[in-house]
Amino acid sequence: MTPTHFAFSAAFILGLAGLAFHRTHLLSALLCLEGMMLSLFIALSLWTLQLDSTNLSASPMLLLAFSACEASTGLALLVATTRTHGTDRLQSLNLLQC
Amino acid sequence: MTYIMSLFLFGLVLGLVAVASNPSPYFAALGLVVVAGLGCGILVGHGGHFLSLILFLIYLGGMLVVFAYSAALAAEPYPESWGSRPVMVYILAYVVGVVMVSGQFWGGWYETSWVPVDELGELSVLRGDSGGVALMYAGGGGMLVISAWVLLLTLFVVLELTRGLSRGALRAV
Repeated sequence: MTPTHFAFSAAFILGLAGLAFHRTHLLSALLCLEGMMLSLFIALSLWTLQLDSTNLSASPMLLLAFSACEASTGLALLVATTRTHGTDRLQSLNLLQC
Repeated sequence: MTYIMSLFLFGLVLGLVAVASNPSPYFAALGLVVVAGLGCGILVGHGGHFLSLILFLIYLGGMLVVFAYSAALAAEPYPESWGSRPVMVYILAYVVGVVMVSGQFWGGWYETSWVPVDELGELSVLRGDSGGVALMYAGGGGMLVISAWVLLLTLFVVLELTRGLSRGALRAV
């Protein structure tokens, strides 16, 4: 495992751990998801670049398109949550009426 | 060049530690901006200048600006930066974890363990990744159509989620 592979693997695991443990804001969880998608983008790009298999260099761009979909849907949920609950704290999301 | 690449890799991991250690969303967005910039540097060091440009313009310029704007929705009177105590505990835990795991691997790390694409370490106009991306428009038309369709679908999903007035997807908005 070269240092580059270790770096993006560690970045992915750190993003996953940050998403799993102790979230207070919904936006923080979305930012951790974005960090995971960023490490996946770097991983796919380095796969292309290190193996010289340049036919696959379209795959990180397609991944970026799908991650844009994920980010925009998450932010739409954030806006909807803020309009119903007045805040985006995850502790207030199990209130039935407010 | 090897030292610069090592610095970028250190910064990538430390930036993700800064995002994952649960600070306020302003600071987490700032950390993610730094991580995206360092990721651009890593891709340039491996010879992928076009993918680096995509990452810088689309990801950092398009998506993270929206995230930084949405941080206004998560405003709080006393934001927690990386210096406050619970965030510091998480930072220490993550850094110790990363160092312990990397201790399993750093026996096999040498000084020049990175190779640019095409084994070409010089300035060049046409590198491998820009040619490969151009192939998406030649042979990858199906995936291109699927991606455009997914983006259009996401536009309507976002509009339905945030519409409100008892007609959208969420009645309570």
